[in-house]
Amino acid sequence: MSLRRRTLLKVIVLGDSGVGKTSLMNQYVHKKFSQQYKATIGADFVTKELQIDDRLVTLQIWDTAGQERFQSLGVAFYRGADCCVLVYDVNVMKSFDTLDNWHDEFLRQANPADPRTFPFILLGNKIDIDGGNSRVVSEKKAKDWCASKGNIPYFETSAKEDYNVDAAFLSIAKTALANEHDQDIYFQAVPEPAPENEQRGGGCAC
Amino acid sequence: MTQSEDALSYPPIDPVNFDLIIVGTGLSESVIAAAASAVGKTVLHLDPNSFYGSHFASLSLDELTSYLNSHSLPTTSSTVAAATPNDDPDHVVVDLLQKPLYSDVEIVSRDSDDEDAKLLRENSRRFIVDLGGPRALFSADKSIDLLIKSGAAQYLEFKGIDASLAYQPNEGLANLPDSRGAIFRDKSLSLKEKNQLMRFFKLVQQHLANDGDQNESGEGRKILEEDLESPFVSFLDKMRLPPKIKSILLYAIAMVDYDQDNNEVCKDLLKTKDGIDRLAQYSSSVGRFPNAPGALLYPVYGEGELPQAFCRRAAVKGCIYVLRMPVIALLMDKVTGFYKGVRLASGQNLFSHQLVLDPSFTIPSPLPSFPRDFPNERLQMLSQRDIKGMVARGICITRSSIKTDVSNCSVVYPPRSLYPEQATSIRALQIGSNLAVCPAGTFVLYFSTLCNEADEGKKLVQAAINAYLTLPVTGNSESIPIVQNDSEDTKPSVLWSAFYIQNVTMSKFESISSSPTPDGNLNYNDLLDAAEKLFGQMYPEEEFFPKTTSPEDTVDDDDDDDHNGITLES
Repeated sequence: MSLRRRTLLKVIVLGDSGVGKTSLMNQYVHKKFSQQYKATIGADFVTKELQIDDRLVTLQIWDTAGQERFQSLGVAFYRGADCCVLVYDVNVMKSFDTLDNWHDEFLRQANPADPRTFPFILLGNKIDIDGGNSRVVSEKKAKDWCASKGNIPYFETSAKEDYNVDAAFLSIAKTALANEHDQDIYFQAVPEPAPENEQRGGGCAC
Repeated sequence: MTQSEDALSYPPIDPVNFDLIIVGTGLSESVIAAAASAVGKTVLHLDPNSFYGSHFASLSLDELTSYLNSHSLPTTSSTVAAATPNDDPDHVVVDLLQKPLYSDVEIVSRDSDDEDAKLLRENSRRFIVDLGGPRALFSADKSIDLLIKSGAAQYLEFKGIDASLAYQPNEGLANLPDSRGAIFRDKSLSLKEKNQLMRFFKLVQQHLANDGDQNESGEGRKILEEDLESPFVSFLDKMRLPPKIKSILLYAIAMVDYDQDNNEVCKDLLKTKDGIDRLAQYSSSVGRFPNAPGALLYPVYGEGELPQAFCRRAAVKGCIYVLRMPVIALLMDKVTGFYKGVRLASGQNLFSHQLVLDPSFTIPSPLPSFPRDFPNERLQMLSQRDIKGMVARGICITRSSIKTDVSNCSVVYPPRSLYPEQATSIRALQIGSNLAVCPAGTFVLYFSTLCNEADEGKKLVQAAINAYLTLPVTGNSESIPIVQNDSEDTKPSVLWSAFYIQNVTMSKFESISSSPTPDGNLNYNDLLDAAEKLFGQMYPEEEFFPKTTSPEDTVDDDDDDDHNGITLES
């Protein structure tokens, strides 16, 4: 029905500047980590192929391209997302406090058919820092937040140490795949125009 | 809105010096942002709105209503608060005003408690309507090349417009004879007319094939030089094409605005050589993409996706984006009078070599009193904005298509087709739910025409609407020409409609430039030309979207079929 391969899943990664969104993506796809932080420039989206059960799935993971810095992500960024990954830094309370904003902003902009069942996932990143001693958000607090949002899955990660990154993204892919089915139904409800019965004669009228 | 409405709560913008500051995220501004970022300029891109696109935005019905209402107030300098204090030791601070581009806004919604009103209420956010419609892209025009060259195409999906139609007084909506097959199938043309048209197309084809080819082989014919310089309408007369075909070629394929047979009203007499170029562009658009049936493409989710794609391209190259951030004043050097920077609503001063402003910005006129010897002529251009003309725009939402079995279509109502005094073409575009801009079973229709004054524009647009639709009853519907047609009782009724006049202003260039307003054309060619020209004037040494070769630019997607191309949903 469509040229777009239905196993292509759009995943967007949201969260405050500096929580490690780009690092997580780089670690997952390129197995690389850069100690040096610079606000994201040059990151667009990365893709990775995965085998889930008997399906080959292409994850297309979209970075914010720095447009989150002044909460200036446009609606186009959110459109057609199959899953939304929220990231916060376990060492920075504010990045946890703003999760509500990102969650609400996603639902407002992406406008999914059923906001209550749309798949989110939460990653608490940078658990390696200072051996966990500078941590200000407890695992329990994060899990409580997830429970309050309809039991969204939670992973604690370290992009630097490559801890839990693969597991988190595998869960993301599975969640997105489950949601993708629903999206298909939505698109199928849209009536297609009557098919062209006749072959168009040639391309050029001249 | 859950995000902080209040731009003042943003952290200060860092750094404070840029090569280029751009205010407004309309299509031209966004293209310039992407182009400048691509050649390594540091760019700050601001917009006072909470959404991207400025005059090219696609909005929900509520957003569109409130945007038009708040941007169509009569201009008075008293709309801004007291003048910004001139507290800057190095700069003269000049207040910036927003002069509305829109006027005569009329929005009518079914307010009864019937099913239609309920549908609108429950789905208000499922409608995405274009502020600058009707707009579409020709499959073979330069906007497609630019989308690919800039990398913006990878964020977009398009769909072909199913049918291109022209309104004919006695036949209603006729398919354009725009390909051999279409000519053969056309039941309204006589055999003689078909032959005339085929001969004409053959001549054009031979002319194009031989263009630039010096040796005149016996086979190829060229159109005479004197004909190329003559008006296209005279050339079509000379070719003895019947009036109906002439009208379709001029207004529905070459997309001319003014009545070419009426010297008094015609402001854009088209030369034959330009007419031939437009025919060539049209015919190479038909069938360029196998899954787009006609000549036109439309972006999934609406026109507003285009500026956003260019903005994302710019962001990926390092451009900083700040929405909900009004610019309130310009900072001019106290001695030289040169532009230095801007002051934001947050109070922060930011500096740049160049400034590009959304066309709605202006400065108070007469200018406030400046220091005695301040050279203020550099500011005059901003206060004396030339209004080039007006475009009347209309939007209607319906529950059935204006043409049976067609979801998306473009329509041209040539001059004099609706009523004798109709001096301009009226363009319409119907978009259905398969472009994700409205719920299933509904359609969004756009109308536009050039006009000299608001009443004329309204009369033109309403005549085109009345030909196929029934508008909701309002108090004052006198003197609108009603076009009779046989399907009178089955005309779809309009659930919601908007009408407005938009000024078209010129873009100008200095260290402060203003970008072009949406024009009255269906495609983006003139706007993109203007953006490229503006870029060239700012950065004469730089290439407009150079070909990138560095490995990090190539997104590591595998065998994706939309790589380096346009993604078309079939």
